Amino acid sequence: MKRIWLQRLTAFDRKLVLLLSALVFLSFLVPLRQEAGARLLVESGDKTLFVASLDQPQLVELSGPLGLTRFEIKDGAVRVLSSPCPNKICIGLGAARHSGDLLACVPNRLVFRIAGKSAEGQGYDLLSR
Amino acid sequence: MTSSAAEYTELERVRRRVFLALFIALAVALHTFEALLPNPLPWFRLGLANILGLTALFIYGVRELWIVSIARILVGSLILGNLFSPGFLLSLSGGLLATLLMATSYRLWQAKIGPVGVSVLGALGHAGGQLLIAWLLIIRHPSVWLMLPFFLLFSLISGIVNGLAADLLRESLLNHPAFARLRKLAG
Repeated sequence: MKRIWLQRLTAFDRKLVLLLSALVFLSFLVPLRQEAGARLLVESGDKTLFVASLDQPQLVELSGPLGLTRFEIKDGAVRVLSSPCPNKICIGLGAARHSGDLLACVPNRLVFRIAGKSAEGQGYDLLSR
Repeated sequence: MTSSAAEYTELERVRRRVFLALFIALAVALHTFEALLPNPLPWFRLGLANILGLTALFIYGVRELWIVSIARILVGSLILGNLFSPGFLLSLSGGLLATLLMATSYRLWQAKIGPVGVSVLGALGHAGGQLLIAWLLIIRHPSVWLMLPFFLLFSLISGIVNGLAADLLRESLLNHPAFARLRKLAG
């Protein structure tokens, strides 16, 4: 009763699997485009320290518990230029430009959040047990 | 044998109950085993437990598929200790959508569809249902959908493999003397 595995599929099964494979393949091609961000919010704890539009290029310094963190807004993106934290992970994160993106300097307690044009990003974004 | 017809159907009924219980027990064992496997990415599950649901569907019917699926999710989660947690909610929603798709496709195309077809539909339904509930209840963020294509591809492959396993299991079970009567019905 040994049969090769393809023979275990009925003709209908084969058509169905082909159709579904095509759909899955197509789902790779659909670019789930991310909304470009419109505003930058910098938060420390539950206080919002700084709000700016991403349209205007500027260099800003904000102070946290460790010292001054310098970041720039350029070409609709935010990047951290210098920070007093030990690991410089916030600098290594690079630029944030899409709505919902986050940069964070945990030691200096600064969170850089990009908000879109809509009110999205206001509610909770992660809830776990 | 000298047993009467009434005793014979009673025997069949008991047999069916015993085998259904065995199916559920095996499904729970696979469900638990799968949770013990290291998974580098969350939610990428093989869905091995569904093999038993599929076999129950093709040997007995739609009602038995529902029984095996729901009992497996409830008992499996109870054993893993995540009953009614967010993870359980994902597992339940995925399982319900998968079972719904499998039962419907079996009803619609009973004569044409085989275990692999039903299994693939179920696997994709499981992926879709989980992600939908994850998006609705837990992480309301559009980037959840960025995972969908990878998730679906993985489900497609595991669905095919599970379907083949279910077909093998069905074949060897129907060759067993305890299923002789069902084998006659199946032709």
